[in-house]
Amino acid sequence: MIQHHLIYHYTSYDEGVTYYEPNPQAAYYLVRSGKILEFIQERLGSYAATVMSTIMFLGHAQISHLETLPELRPGQSRVNGINGDSPGEESNGTANEHEVGDPGGQSALLHPTLKALASHGYLIRVRDAQFQSYADNALDAERAIKSRPDVKQMKGKRLEETVLDGTLSMLREKLDGDLTRGLMHNGLPRGAKRRPGNGSGNASNQDARVDYDMEDEDEEENEWSDDDMGGDTTPMESGIVVRVNYEKLDVALRNRRFLDLAEMHSSPATVQVYECLLRRIEYQTKQCRDSVEIPREGEEGEQYSVAVALSAVTEEVDPQLDLAGSIGPMEIPQPVNKRGKRPLDDVGVNGNSHQESDAPSRTYEIDQHLSLLSQPPYNLTSKRVVSGIITWTVEFRHLARKLRHLELERIIEARYGDVALRVIRVLHAKGKLDEKRLQEISLLPFKDLRQVLASMQSGGFVDLQEVPRDAQRQPSRTIYLWFYDPDRIRNSILEDTYKAMSRCMQRLRFERTRLKEFLEKTERSDVKGNEERYLSPAELTLLGQWRSKEALLLGEITRLDEMVAVMRDY
Amino acid sequence: MATSAGSSVSELCARLYDACLKNFPSDHLFYQQDLLGLGIVPKNDLALLLQCTQSLVNQKLFRLLQGKNDRLAWKIISREDAEKLQNLSPDESLVYNVIHSTGRSGIWVRAIGTRTNLHKSILDRCLKSLEGKNYIKSVHNVKFPSRKMYMLAGLAPSEDVTGGAWFTDGVLDENFINSVAGFIEWKVSQKSWYEVPAVQQHHQRNNKRLKTADGNGIAHDHHHDPLDQQQPQKEYIPFPAGYQGYPTIPELTAAVNASGITPVRLGEESITQLLEMLCYDNKLVALNNGEVYRSVKTPDQVKSQQARKPPGEDSGIDDRLVRNGMTEAPCGHCPVFKLCAPGGAVSPESCEYFDPWLEKALGF
Repeated sequence: MIQHHLIYHYTSYDEGVTYYEPNPQAAYYLVRSGKILEFIQERLGSYAATVMSTIMFLGHAQISHLETLPELRPGQSRVNGINGDSPGEESNGTANEHEVGDPGGQSALLHPTLKALASHGYLIRVRDAQFQSYADNALDAERAIKSRPDVKQMKGKRLEETVLDGTLSMLREKLDGDLTRGLMHNGLPRGAKRRPGNGSGNASNQDARVDYDMEDEDEEENEWSDDDMGGDTTPMESGIVVRVNYEKLDVALRNRRFLDLAEMHSSPATVQVYECLLRRIEYQTKQCRDSVEIPREGEEGEQYSVAVALSAVTEEVDPQLDLAGSIGPMEIPQPVNKRGKRPLDDVGVNGNSHQESDAPSRTYEIDQHLSLLSQPPYNLTSKRVVSGIITWTVEFRHLARKLRHLELERIIEARYGDVALRVIRVLHAKGKLDEKRLQEISLLPFKDLRQVLASMQSGGFVDLQEVPRDAQRQPSRTIYLWFYDPDRIRNSILEDTYKAMSRCMQRLRFERTRLKEFLEKTERSDVKGNEERYLSPAELTLLGQWRSKEALLLGEITRLDEMVAVMRDY
Repeated sequence: MATSAGSSVSELCARLYDACLKNFPSDHLFYQQDLLGLGIVPKNDLALLLQCTQSLVNQKLFRLLQGKNDRLAWKIISREDAEKLQNLSPDESLVYNVIHSTGRSGIWVRAIGTRTNLHKSILDRCLKSLEGKNYIKSVHNVKFPSRKMYMLAGLAPSEDVTGGAWFTDGVLDENFINSVAGFIEWKVSQKSWYEVPAVQQHHQRNNKRLKTADGNGIAHDHHHDPLDQQQPQKEYIPFPAGYQGYPTIPELTAAVNASGITPVRLGEESITQLLEMLCYDNKLVALNNGEVYRSVKTPDQVKSQQARKPPGEDSGIDDRLVRNGMTEAPCGHCPVFKLCAPGGAVSPESCEYFDPWLEKALGF
C-alpha cells in the first residue's frame, strides 16, 4: 500500500513509533486510471500509455527497474523485435528504427517516452515527503523552521509570519517532484513537437485515428531522432524514482472537458484552435487550483491562466488546418459583409482581403476563432493585450464553475424537467426571490411553479427562507424567499455520485457471483485465449453478454467519475 | 340682494369654469393663485372666490383636492362627467370619488369601505348601482387574485394590475407565451447564423431579403420550405465575434407585432421579459448587456424541435442538455437511493433497476 501511495506513514523521531494514515485521494485516483491511459495514448501514442500503465501498476518505479521489465522490452512488443539490444543503447536503437521505420523497435523508445511523459509533467519524481501526510509534513517543516536560531529570537506576529512563509516554501521544496525542468524545448515539452506534423486528425475525428496510428509512430520516431541530433540523447537518470502526477493529469483532463464544452457550440476548426491554446496553457499549469478545497460560490476570485501569445497559438495550430482558414468556406465564420448586411469597418475588409489573397493573416484568422470562443455564454477564452502583444488566456475558475453548474443543471433537468431548469437558472442568476417575482421572471403559471418548487424542495435542490415582518412570526406576515445554493447541492450530489459509483461496483461484483462458475471456467488457463475451441456457442454468447455488461458498468463508473472530477477536482 | 349676489356668483362660476377649461390642460391642479390669476374674480376677493369654487364643487364641476403643504387645490371635471356625478346620490358620489382617486390601479372593496366609512350593505348597493350605470367596472388583480377590485369604467388597468401582456384575465397565458417565444427563437436564430451559400446561392439570397423585408412572410415561407429543401442539409456557421447584425429588442418587438400572432400590441418591456426568459431557458444568449440576442440553435434545429414538440413529450429528450453519469445510472433516478445499503432491505444486490437498465442498454 505504501508503494501505491495508498497510505501515509510517519515515524516520529522521539518515540520511534510509526503512524499510518490512509490517503483516500490516491485510492480514488485508481478509478481514473483508465481515462488517464486513454488520454496518454491519444496524446503520446500507445507505447507511452503502456509505460504509464506499468508505472501506475507499480505505484512508483525506478527507471532502472522499468528498463528490466519484460512488458516494456522489445521481445514483448507485438510485431517483431528487431532491436534486441538493451534499451540503454539509445542512439543505436533510434538509428535502427529510423532505417526500419517499424513500431517493433519500441524498446529504445522507453527513455524518450519517459522523457516525454516527464516533460509534459505527467510523471513526477518521488520524494520522501510524499509518503507522509500533508499535515505531518507541515508540522515537520514548522518544527524545523522554529528551531532555526534566527527564528528563535523573533516574537509574536513576526514569528508567526516567518514560520508560515518558511513552512510553505519548505513544503514546496520537499514535495516538489517536478521533472519538467531542463526537458522543455523553448517552452514546449518533448514529444509535443510532433503535434503540428500530425495532420488535422485529432481526437475529434475518431475513425481517422486508427489509420494514422501507424504513421504516427513513424513521425514520432523521426521527431525524436531529430531531437537526438540536438544532443538530447542522454537517457533518463536510472536512479530516479517516478510516479504518476495526478494533479497535472487533472489539468489535462479538465482541458478536455472544456473542449467538449466548446464542441457543443462551435465548429471543429474552432475547437482545434482552442485545443492548441489549451495545450499551450497546460504546459505551464501545474494544478487545477491553488486551494485544496473548492472555494464557496462567489468567494472565488477570478483567476486567469498563463497568457499565451497569439503568435504562439498560431505556431501551434496545424498549418494544414487551413480548412479553418481560407480554403473551406464551411468552417470559417464568414466575414460580415459577405451577407451584404453592414460592413464592419476594417474587420470586414480584412477578412475579405485575405479571402482573396489567401496567404497573409493566418494569425488574424486564429484570433477570430478565439474571439468567437470568448463570447457568452461560456466565455471560453479572454483576450489580453500586454504591451502591444495580443495574448489569450483562459479563466479556469470561472469555467470550472460553469462546468459544475452545468452538471447540476443536467441532473435537475433530467429529474424535474425543463420548467425546473428555468426556475433554477432564474434563482441562480437573481439570488433569493419570492414567489411573485419568480413568476414574473420565469413566466410560469402559479400552479406549475409551485409544483416544481415543491418537488425540488423535497429533493433538496431549492430551499425556502422565511423572513418574518414582525416579531410574532405569523405565517401571513412572513415573506418566503426561494433560493438555490449550488455549493450545498454540489456537495450532496458529490456524495450521491460516490454512492452511485460504489453501487455500480457492488452490482458488478454481484453479477459476477451470479455467473461465478461459468466465469471460472472461462478463466481457466487452458480455456483462456482459446474460447472458441472450448466453449459451446451458447456459452460464447453468454460470455459476450457478460463482457459487455461488465464494460457497461465500468463505463458507467467512469462516467460518474467524470462528474466527481468536475465537482471536486477541477 | 341675496339673489343678485347668487346670480352673480353663478355667473362668475360659469366664467371661471370656462376660463379654466380654456387656459389649462384638463388635469391641471389649480391653486388659489391660479384662479385669481385668471382675473375673473373682482378685486381678488377671496371670500367670493371661495363661494364660487364651493358652488362649482357642488355642481361637480370642480373636484376639491388637497395639494402640497395642505393647501386647497381644485381640478376641473368635464361637463359630461359632472352631469353623471350630479345624478348620483351623496353616498354614490363618495364611493365614485374614492374609486376615481385610485386611477388605473383600482381599489379593493374593503379599502373603499374603510375610506368612506360606509356600512357594507350601503356600499354594496352603491357599487351595484354605479356598475349598473356603467361608471365603474370590477377588475382582476394578478397580485391578489381573491380580492374584488374596482376602477372607473373608462380606464384600462395598469400593468401592475394585469401583470403585463402575458396575463389574460389575471392568469398567465401559457399557450400565448409559448407561441410568441417560439416565434422569437426562430426569428433570432435566423439572424444569428450564417447560412453557407449552397449551389442555389442566388435563390436563397433573394429569399432572405424578402423575408427580412416583411415579417409576415417568414413563418409561412419556412413552413413550406423545409419539405423540399430537406435533402441538401443547410449548413450554418457562426458569425465572427463583434458581429453587429444580431437582432435588437426593438427589431424583435416590431417583428412580433407584425407577425399577427398576437392579438394585442406587445410593448418592448414585455418582449424583453420574454427574451430574458428564453435566456434562462438556454435558448438565447444576450450579448452587449442584453441589447442584442443570439440564438444557441441554428434555424434548422429550431424548426425541427418545434415540429417535434406537439406529438409527445418523450421525444423532447434530445434537445435537453447532454446527459451525464448521474442521470444515466439507475441510481440517478432511484426513488429509494437514500435507503440503499449493502445488506439492507434495498441493496445493490437486490436492486430491481439494474437488470432492466442493463438489458435496455445492451439490447438483450
